[in-house]
Amino acid sequence: MSELRPFGERYATALADPDVRGGLTAFQRGWRVSRDAAIADLEAQEGRSFDELRAELAAIKDGVLANWEHHIDTFTANATAAGAEVVRVATPGEANALVTERMQAAGADLIVKGKSMVSEEIGLNSHLEAAGIIPVETDLGEWILQLAEETPSHLVMPAIHKRKEVIAELFERVLERPFPADDIDRMVKAARTELRERFLASSVGLSGANALISEGGSILLVCNEGNNRMSVALPKLHVVTAGIEKLLPTYADAMKQVRLLGRSATGQPITVYTNFLTGPRPGQEQLIILLDNGRTAMAEDPDVAAALRCIRCGACADVCPPYGVVGGHAFGHVYTGAIGLVNTSFHHGIEAAAGPQSLCVSCGACATVCPVDIPLPVQILEVRATVARAGAAGSAGTVTRAALSAFQHPALVGLGLRAVGLLSTPLRRDGVTALPAVLTTRGPLATRIGWRSPPAVPLRPARDTLRPGRLEEPPRLADQPLAGRKVQLFLQCLSDRIAPDIPIAAARLLRAAGAQVTVPREQHCCGLPAYDSGEQDTARDMVRQTMAALADGADVVTPASSCLAMLGHDAPHLLRGDLGEVERAQELAGRTYDLISYLATGPGRLPAGSLDDGDRTPVTVHRFCQASNTLGRTDAIEAFLRDVAGVPVVPLPEAGECCGFGGSTSVRNPELSAGILDRKLGCLDRTEASVLITDNPGCILHLRGGVHASGREVEVLHLAEYLVRRLPGATSMSQED
Amino acid sequence: MTEPTVQDDPPTATPGRALLRTRVEAAASTYHELPGWEEVAAHAAALADRIALAPSLHAAQPDLATSLEALGCTVVVPGTEDPGADVADVPVAIVGGVLAVAETGSVLVTEHELRDRVVTMLCKRLLQVVAATDVVGRLEDAAEWLAPRGGQAGFASLMTGPSRTADIERSLTIGVQGPDEVDVLVLVGTDAATEEPTT
Ligand code: SF4
Repeated sequence: MSELRPFGERYATALADPDVRGGLTAFQRGWRVSRDAAIADLEAQEGRSFDELRAELAAIKDGVLANWEHHIDTFTANATAAGAEVVRVATPGEANALVTERMQAAGADLIVKGKSMVSEEIGLNSHLEAAGIIPVETDLGEWILQLAEETPSHLVMPAIHKRKEVIAELFERVLERPFPADDIDRMVKAARTELRERFLASSVGLSGANALISEGGSILLVCNEGNNRMSVALPKLHVVTAGIEKLLPTYADAMKQVRLLGRSATGQPITVYTNFLTGPRPGQEQLIILLDNGRTAMAEDPDVAAALRCIRCGACADVCPPYGVVGGHAFGHVYTGAIGLVNTSFHHGIEAAAGPQSLCVSCGACATVCPVDIPLPVQILEVRATVARAGAAGSAGTVTRAALSAFQHPALVGLGLRAVGLLSTPLRRDGVTALPAVLTTRGPLATRIGWRSPPAVPLRPARDTLRPGRLEEPPRLADQPLAGRKVQLFLQCLSDRIAPDIPIAAARLLRAAGAQVTVPREQHCCGLPAYDSGEQDTARDMVRQTMAALADGADVVTPASSCLAMLGHDAPHLLRGDLGEVERAQELAGRTYDLISYLATGPGRLPAGSLDDGDRTPVTVHRFCQASNTLGRTDAIEAFLRDVAGVPVVPLPEAGECCGFGGSTSVRNPELSAGILDRKLGCLDRTEASVLITDNPGCILHLRGGVHASGREVEVLHLAEYLVRRLPGATSMSQED
Repeated sequence: MTEPTVQDDPPTATPGRALLRTRVEAAASTYHELPGWEEVAAHAAALADRIALAPSLHAAQPDLATSLEALGCTVVVPGTEDPGADVADVPVAIVGGVLAVAETGSVLVTEHELRDRVVTMLCKRLLQVVAATDVVGRLEDAAEWLAPRGGQAGFASLMTGPSRTADIERSLTIGVQGPDEVDVLVLVGTDAATEEPTT
């Protein structure tokens, strides 16, 4: 099997292969349907929610780590009693040497392998090949990759990045007979015939372990194809490679894992073969290699220890938007998907972990499906911070760091953007900057910028327009839920300077509902961009600055849900080193709202029909990903539009999936961002709506740019912008002519 | 011939079997309730004239081979020398299960010895036989069976449907390194079968 190439190369190859994106989008959609149905069935069967079930499994796994040595010892004693030999090794080198040594001692030159991620982790195949031993992968996907000289791109579906046409060609070349691309059955049967000979000829077999059950010394080994059963049964020596985190105390615990594993991996209630192996069969030897390779270090780091709960189901890749564009060869190292962004630095080093970090959009989708409830998004940001501190290749780098550091100073930002605004005035159209075609369609910049028209940069920031007395009084609503209530508007740095219409519209709406709106002058940026880039010191400074600016105990309302995710969710975590700061962050979080929750369920709750102006033009709604995934919001905007504004809402398919703006991705990896946006716009087309509403300014600028550049005729509006138009006697709200 | 004893509380047994049937069929196996081993032999003989028996089943049910032979079948019981060659591509094989789990439609089969394992791995169609009294509700019931056997060499497998793969474009294909077809046969004895025996 080939060695992993450098990240940049893997990323470029993935982008250049149209099969990758096309195939993975279909795969992710199919997985979602099966998995959701299977989990719904499970919830009904157990009478408990997914969250309760995964919390239970997570607690079991955490319990093992709390008493780790005891469980390792118990497992070892029981497995040994059943006739196995258990060896603990610290490094991949030791594991590889041990397998090679045993094979040479047995005079074996062929090894049949069931799927084992640990054997991939340690690079066993290339090590064996160097020693003149032939490893044969027997899982169909792994075998295909071995023939193609590639590595797995997914934890469960290793060859999912390959289309059947490509596999058919590969089979034709290797097996020298015709394989029609539509005849998958023929390909599968060919693999069966080819592999059966190897099974019967091999004297050594290798498997991984889905769990090590300490109460009985048993190995839990699941598979659908049956290949694993053959590779552990037929040979005279059975080698098991497993990470030491794979322990479970009891068989009953194993059943809890089984219930969640199959459903999360493939949407099956259980895999076809769920095997419990205790010791070798008569006439066989069994060698169980327990590998550390960074796992102890993970357990000792409270920021990532929970990642050791992972049961390698692959779900975190199956919902990951960037994974859907570039696949696992780019999104991950040996371990792919979100978990790969966490554990790679421990198993393969910081340099290996650095490249893929920049592909994560921080949308939070992975955490919603992980069956062991690993806080993946938070952990990814922690690893990113480590990568940034180490200055590893592929980390944010000095330019980004300098930019983020300059961004801390509102005056500098204001000056710079005003200059851009003045320069780009002649190109401003409908809220975007129409770039000259010579830049977007030809030349080296086309793929990096052509897919999205950049936002028009206005001449005056929102904070100036919103100075007391400058803005005309809006019409009043009949109901005044906020009469006499003081509201501090948190503008969001991006909107303030680049999309001022959004906070201005929010201010007008709040005033129309009776609020006294103030705009604290010291406010700037909540720190999210810095946090996303792994620059945690800068992020902390910005959070502190924001907390000071909003210290007045009045409600804080922001039109940017991303700031709520930061102030309400991430800030206490980021400041966890100082309990006093955590308390202040929590106090602020308690009185901070995004506009929709303030008006739909919070103190500014508007009665049904109060913004109904009779317009029934259907709209559709993109759900800001972090609001869905991190803040747990579901259909709040849709319901509000229907009930309060009286407007029909056409559901947007995959409404809660990231639009591609997320994190710093759209700047650092524009091709990837364009791929995610493309999927979103494809879903938008299916609604046939002419108005797209959402509530995060970053998404709006990104979607507007994509709609404009692709020539679509859809108006993209912030919820506030849409709603102010429905105020009694409303006229155009644009601040500039 | 083993007559399964009637359960103390048949009303709970039947819903268990109803669920088992649903789950077995959902896993792409077929489900049959048969009075006893004679009918198992008839079911197998109707499918092929060469039938493999797992050695552990043959030891426990020596009459089964006799019944099959009386129905004109050649019976293969793999030996210890080269068990794989003995059963390579046998069309139909029969194995006994220690219990069946209704929740998942799985049959728990123990096959410590290689000559037992080759039967379930290499045949084309596998008949899994389990007594109605051994139908349990949940996976934890299987865990309860496994727990006291911990620390002793053994191999137990929850089998759920025929072998399959979706490794190529997530397209489901039945029959990889294991049987293409699986029949779950539940021995109900004098307990009322919910289906006419297959002949
Ligand atoms: S991190 Fe969670 S979702 Fe991802 S592979 Fe591991 S268990 Fe599955």
